[in-house]
Amino acid sequence: MSRAARLGAFIIATLAILAAGIFIIGSKQYLFTSTYRLKAQFTTVVGLDPGAEIRVGGVHAGTVRGIELPHKPTDKITILMDLQRSTHDIIKQDSVAAIETEGLLGNEYVSISFGSAQALNVKDDDTIASLPPLVIADLMKKADGILDSSQEALDNVTVATANLGSITGKINQGQGTIGALVNDKKIYTQLDETTAGLRDTVSHAQAGVTSFQENMDAMKSNFLLRGYFKKRGYENSSELVKDEIPQLPAAAPLKTFTFESKQLFDKADSAKPRNQKSLRAAGQFLADTEFGLAVVVVSTGSTGDAQKDLVLAQARALVVRDYLVGNFSFDDAQLKTLGLGKGKNPGPASGWGTVEIIIYPADTEAPTQVSAVSPK
Amino acid sequence: MVTHNIRIHRHSIRPAVVQTTPPLPSALRSVGNLLNSFLEWFGELGLFVWQVMRAAVRRPFEGRELLRQLDELGSKSMPLIALAGAAIGAVLALETRSSLVRFGAKSMLPAAIVFSIIHETGPVVTGLVVSGRVGAGIGAELGSMKVTEQIDAIEASGVNPYKFLAFTRIVACILVLPLLTVAADFCGVMVGWISSTLVEPISFLKFINQGLAGTSFSDFLAPTFRTAVFGLIIGTIGCFQGMRTQGGTEGVGRSATSSVVLSSLLVILADVILVKLILVFFP
Repeated sequence: MSRAARLGAFIIATLAILAAGIFIIGSKQYLFTSTYRLKAQFTTVVGLDPGAEIRVGGVHAGTVRGIELPHKPTDKITILMDLQRSTHDIIKQDSVAAIETEGLLGNEYVSISFGSAQALNVKDDDTIASLPPLVIADLMKKADGILDSSQEALDNVTVATANLGSITGKINQGQGTIGALVNDKKIYTQLDETTAGLRDTVSHAQAGVTSFQENMDAMKSNFLLRGYFKKRGYENSSELVKDEIPQLPAAAPLKTFTFESKQLFDKADSAKPRNQKSLRAAGQFLADTEFGLAVVVVSTGSTGDAQKDLVLAQARALVVRDYLVGNFSFDDAQLKTLGLGKGKNPGPASGWGTVEIIIYPADTEAPTQVSAVSPK
Repeated sequence: MVTHNIRIHRHSIRPAVVQTTPPLPSALRSVGNLLNSFLEWFGELGLFVWQVMRAAVRRPFEGRELLRQLDELGSKSMPLIALAGAAIGAVLALETRSSLVRFGAKSMLPAAIVFSIIHETGPVVTGLVVSGRVGAGIGAELGSMKVTEQIDAIEASGVNPYKFLAFTRIVACILVLPLLTVAADFCGVMVGWISSTLVEPISFLKFINQGLAGTSFSDFLAPTFRTAVFGLIIGTIGCFQGMRTQGGTEGVGRSATSSVVLSSLLVILADVILVKLILVFFP
């Protein structure tokens, strides 16, 4: 090879390599292809450099041509982006630019999202929306704050645990009220003794009450007092409401027997029975019929003390029930009483009030509490 | 002519120094002599550069000799440079891989190889290899011409030796160094890719794409063309050391050695300064 040819080959080869290098780097910077320009504004670009990559849907499709600082402190930094023409159909006016980092410590690049189908096309020099970048330093600051507060919380927990330790230590050592309670067996023994004493006292009291009851029963039978109870019509006040129901059942009654109190009782203010045979028809019906529930409903006259009248109504209902249960054979659990007292059912003109025996069909159940709407 | 003047100057100063100063301790005297010869060297270099620059602007421009030197210094250096570049590429690929694998950053391998070759290793290795081959060649050639009085003969025939011998070689060095750097870069990258793909297959396209990702013109052109400065240093030092040769064949050997040593040293020093300058102008 001649000297000139050798020199020519050397120069051409090296210049070709140089040109290829320039072309490759230039094409990476989109210097030799048709591009269009977009802008985006950020408050910080976190170290993004001119020449940085732009990725559209993760594909390298442009380069950051320039970064312009604002003229006023209130304005934002503008980045100028040269994008390949082919992205023009994907990037729309609602596309969003974001500055991202390759990995945790890699290069920054701009990522542009696809626009929506119905959005308008972008034009040269348009400004698209942007997302504030994630600054690692800010993240670190936040993490630092969180760590600080968790440290404080841990310190508090440590203090609380120490306090708790001191308290349980004191309890364990028998200091203070709880400590004494936990550790001193004397208190338990005393409590045990006290309970035993209390139990004795209660059993004594029970025995006392039983004997008192017996005494009272004996007294009731005593001729001096018997008249009082007889005149009143009933012996035990505690039994007045034993079979009482709060209200009448909602079902339609099978049959109703109505009596005037004057027919059945001795006096206007007494529950002492008189001429109870007039109840026989009702008693016979109860004995013959399959019924679910029967209620003796008693109301007094509209005069007198309301409380006394209520007691009188209850007493009269009890007396009538006792008579029916005592003289006719049926399930006495199905016969209930209801003392209505004064004024609820004024009754006949005599002013003594009325006695009704209302019999309900087989499937009726006794109401246990007052319903919102009274059936009668 | 110039060297003659300087020699006279040196002789005229020495007796004055000896007469006016009291006798110095021998160590201090040798340091003084060293400093003196260092300053002399710089002064002579300055005068030499001045002569070359003055000769360069005058016609004729010695194009034929320039082409001959381009071939001598460029084309003939090509195989050596290609081999050196290839060796760097292979070594970088193998060495960097193990380090990057340790950090879990194996995907950065192409970028590490390409970037380090075009940015620093390619230019510096080219500078050093050329300073070895070309610096020694120029120093020895001009030195032997000097001691055999060929330079005086050229001057007597009316041709300016600074232009014909020095300027053409310096310009040739300035021109070929960037081209040789490009060749070294190319061979380094190619062999880097071959070494990588032998260990773990990767397509050349992907290797180049990853390697040049984020590379700008300033990353490629500035380091490549800074070797023109290396060329200036190598050519100037080689010619200067050759043309001031004294003392027969022994002096020729000294000139060849000193031109290699000095040009290599100055290439590395210049690289430090140029890297800093490039970072200032192309951040």
